[in-house]
Formats: sequence, C-alpha cells, structure tokens
Amino acid sequence: MKTKNNKEGSDKIRLIAIIIVSLFVIVTGTLFSLKSFIGGNVAGGAGGIFIVVTILVFAISVFIRGNSDIKKGFPLQDERSKRVMEKATSRAFYISLYMLLAVGFLSEDLIKFRDVSQATSVTVGLMSILFAVCWVYYNRKGDLE
Amino acid sequence: MKTKIKELRARYDMTQEDLAKKVGVRRETILFLEKGKYNPSLRLAHQVANALKTTIDDLFIFDD
Repeated sequence: MKTKNNKEGSDKIRLIAIIIVSLFVIVTGTLFSLKSFIGGNVAGGAGGIFIVVTILVFAISVFIRGNSDIKKGFPLQDERSKRVMEKATSRAFYISLYMLLAVGFLSEDLIKFRDVSQATSVTVGLMSILFAVCWVYYNRKGDLE
Repeated sequence: MKTKIKELRARYDMTQEDLAKKVGVRRETILFLEKGKYNPSLRLAHQVANALKTTIDDLFIFDD
C-alpha cells in the first residue's frame, strides 16, 4: 500500500504533468492560430484562440483546485474520479467517431477546409471540447452506472 | 440505494471532509455516497464502514 507521503508526492508529480501537457497544447495552439492569422485564415485563427483560451481556463482551474486539495490532504484522484474519467473518455470516443464521419461528409460540400492539417486540427479541437463536456457532465451526475 | 453515512457522521461529530480524509477519497465522493448516487467498490464500502465503526450491511440499504 502507498503511504500518505508517497501518495502526496505522486499527486504533485501528476499535477505538474497535467500542467506541462496543457502548456504544450497551449503553445502549439497559439502557434497554429498565429500561422492561420498570418496566412489570412481568420476563422481558423479565431478557432485556435478559442481552444487555447478554453484549455488555459481548464488548466488554471485544475491547478488551483488540485493544489488546494493536496494541501488540505485530499487525493488528486480517487476511485470515483477515475470512473468519471473512464466514462467521459469512452463516451467522448464513441461520439467522436460519429463526429469524424460528419466532418468527413461535410468537408466535401458544406465546409471548405484549407488542407488536411486544418481539418485534423478542427477535429482534434472539437474532440477536446467534447471530452471536457463529457467530463463535466459525468462529474456532476453522481450516478455512474 | 440508501445509506446511513450522514446519520453516523453526525453521531461521531465528523464533517464530510473529516470522513473523506480518514478514508482517503475526495469530498465529492462522500457527498455522492451520502446521496446514494454512487455505488462504491467493496474496498471503499469496507473503509467507510470501518471509519464509522459499523458494518457494510448496516451502512448501505439496497432497495430490492
């Protein structure tokens, strides 16, 4: 069994890992937006900025909440939060499959993507928003059966 | 599912935070357990029952 100090230490490492990954995503998203704006693609740039701001708000709230929980002696993750994560991940994945199909279909007629990389970026952005929505829903729902 | 967690917590003058720390879970988990909205694992049910000096059978009441 893990001791309290070991658990607190691994929680701190997990929190730092979440922040580092979020920073990578934010930097990449900002570069993507800048490239889009410079290339004259205002919609793509604005979409990128929206995703960066969403992730920034999410990362800041996770850091503040996680840090205060660790200081108070609560674990960063427990069995319920792990189940919320599993449920949100699986649901977001299923819905993403339909969404990918829809993006593929719409990109032929309705939406004109600049290139494959733009279509991929939009899809990844939508997938991350979808995951965040699923996570908030299951975290508030309580009944995870 | 109904539980006697709130009742027993009050008996031992414990807050949700106290119980959560004792069991090693987040406060929201205790909140959802009390509302009967979360089915815990056998291990967690055992830990909560131990913390409240009772048994799993006494703590959780299932509607058949």
